[in-house]
Amino acid sequence: MSAGKGPTATAERRSGSDQSLLTERGAAFMRSMVRIRLFEETLAELFAKGGLAGVVHLSIGEEASAVGVCSALEPGDQITSTHRGHHHMLARGLEPEGMFAEILGKATGYSRGKGGSMHVAAIHLGAVGANGIVGGGVPIAVGLGIAARQGGTDRVAVGFFGDGGANQGVVHESLNLAAVWTVPVVFVCENNGYAEFTPTQSVTSGPGIARRAEGYGLPGIAVDGTDVTAVYNAAAEAVHRARTGQGATLIECRMQRWRGHHEGEEVYAGVYREPAIMGPDVAQDPIDRLEQALLDAGIDGVALRAQLRSEEAAVIVSALAAAQAAPLPEVESALQDVFA
Amino acid sequence: MSTATAAVASPSRANRLAPAIADAIAQEMRADPRVIVWGEDVTISVMGPTKGLVAEFPDRVWNTPISEAGFVGAGVGAAVGGLRPVVDIMFSSFAYVCFDQLVNQAGRLRYMTGGRVSVPLVVIGTAGASDSNAAQHSEVPSALFLNAGGLRVVFPSTPHQAFWLTRAAIRAEDPVIILHHPALAATRGKVGMTPLQLGDAEVNPTGSDVSICAIGLMASRARAAATSLAAKGISAEVVDVCSLSPMPWDAIFGSARKTGRVLVVDEGRLTCSVASEIAAGIGEHAFGALKAPVRRLAVPDVPIPFAPVLENFVVPSEASIISAAESLVGA
Repeated sequence: MSAGKGPTATAERRSGSDQSLLTERGAAFMRSMVRIRLFEETLAELFAKGGLAGVVHLSIGEEASAVGVCSALEPGDQITSTHRGHHHMLARGLEPEGMFAEILGKATGYSRGKGGSMHVAAIHLGAVGANGIVGGGVPIAVGLGIAARQGGTDRVAVGFFGDGGANQGVVHESLNLAAVWTVPVVFVCENNGYAEFTPTQSVTSGPGIARRAEGYGLPGIAVDGTDVTAVYNAAAEAVHRARTGQGATLIECRMQRWRGHHEGEEVYAGVYREPAIMGPDVAQDPIDRLEQALLDAGIDGVALRAQLRSEEAAVIVSALAAAQAAPLPEVESALQDVFA
Repeated sequence: MSTATAAVASPSRANRLAPAIADAIAQEMRADPRVIVWGEDVTISVMGPTKGLVAEFPDRVWNTPISEAGFVGAGVGAAVGGLRPVVDIMFSSFAYVCFDQLVNQAGRLRYMTGGRVSVPLVVIGTAGASDSNAAQHSEVPSALFLNAGGLRVVFPSTPHQAFWLTRAAIRAEDPVIILHHPALAATRGKVGMTPLQLGDAEVNPTGSDVSICAIGLMASRARAAATSLAAKGISAEVVDVCSLSPMPWDAIFGSARKTGRVLVVDEGRLTCSVASEIAAGIGEHAFGALKAPVRRLAVPDVPIPFAPVLENFVVPSEASIISAAESLVGA
């Protein structure tokens, strides 16, 4: 990848130069990314077996952006997410059991089975919600930032969106509004190369999404979205700016989407991506990269990964079993919660 | 309390409709620091509902860029985040620009999260034809909001209704859209002491021959029509449906059962209008009391035209209300 050369773009950071960060947070990064990977792989298996209703958009290969950004947040900070948002929610601290339960349509799900994969939310954990509308959550993040500031807090809001969302008018309106009102918000664009089924570069003008921040007088940072330390460092800088009253930042995390737009798309979508960019054989695996960075920093990343994978696999198995055993919602609940 | 004191007792000094909205907002802003105002030209307030607020609250009244989706969406987020935003989109026809944020976000968040997220947002916009603003500034999109669901909607026709319903809207835990008619902005009237809540209607005058359920400017015209009808010996009862969501069904059904003849007057487009919903509701729940089919009077299925003669032709008038009421009672 190439970072933009403009004054508001930063060069790609190398994980090997972040020894103290890896010592302090490397294990937490690894645990969170492994948890997300296992969670998503479990959903892929469930879907393949016909065990899931609806549509699931998996975040495999995109773990580092969620973990890097959410690791830079404090309790009380808030995020809005996207249709592809399981990784954000898990990285923000939502429990796999409640996530599974929601995606399985159970009464114990975070949204009581009314939201599903695209509408998981846990406001008490600062996860105001995933969003089925591309770009739809971004102005909401601006409003959360306004509320944080007006309420006299130093809370920060993060609005995740994708490369598809980068072309939504409301996202540009949000950037402008956040800039003119100096809102404590961080805009995080996960550019995974495909807007649903269309190559991003074929529908996206200009020298890069991060560079669009310049037009609004905001800092724009392009980072390798498979490098969790680079994402973390960019996010920490942006969160600091927001928390100290210096306003908004746009971060573009560049990575590749390993899976399709959604599971099961092959029944109608056919092959629309170059095989050379699909899957772990050629894409950068953020977990592999972290393992190597740990090794470079003198930490036994191989053993750490194996240990955490074992622990998290047990968590995921137990969470899924509990979610599968949980009750279905009472059908009458379909008529509740429209109004207060 | 002396009669003289009672005559002036009022929670608001506002004696016109748009200033009554502004005064209700001001009083809520004094009482609750979470109330904040933003929108298009809210410091000037071309249409009046936020006029004067900036003088008292210079830090809580913000002009926005003309980005309805962005600033309504920010209102959704601010409401979720703990504020009580009052967002003025100037003309409710501009709701079409920000429909995703109003419908998919504000109107859906509570449900999608299993009731765990509240959106106490107020959105204000004018609704209705006035002064030849033509097709894109004159519509009454209330039926779209009702059909979308998750949104409360009020449409006051008097300063009293405007004051109390604005207060109720700001205090509500749900998103509320306040529609106000530009032709009623300067309507005079006293704000009385009896509060109105979301879901209330006002029945005035009462009558026995025919019920006229009417909304917004149409309610004002229906009251004038009732006076003319009385002079012709027809006793008309006007149910001012100043809250559309919740719909004041009890008042509507009660009047329908009392008179047995109902005319519904709505400035929305006829097809799938609020008038249609009211007529259907009466048909389902008060059919046995009806002496004649419910009659709808609404804007024909055309956009609002520009030329004054055309605009006047498509919007129900006092004369057309009188005519429809007369035909309904067989006079």
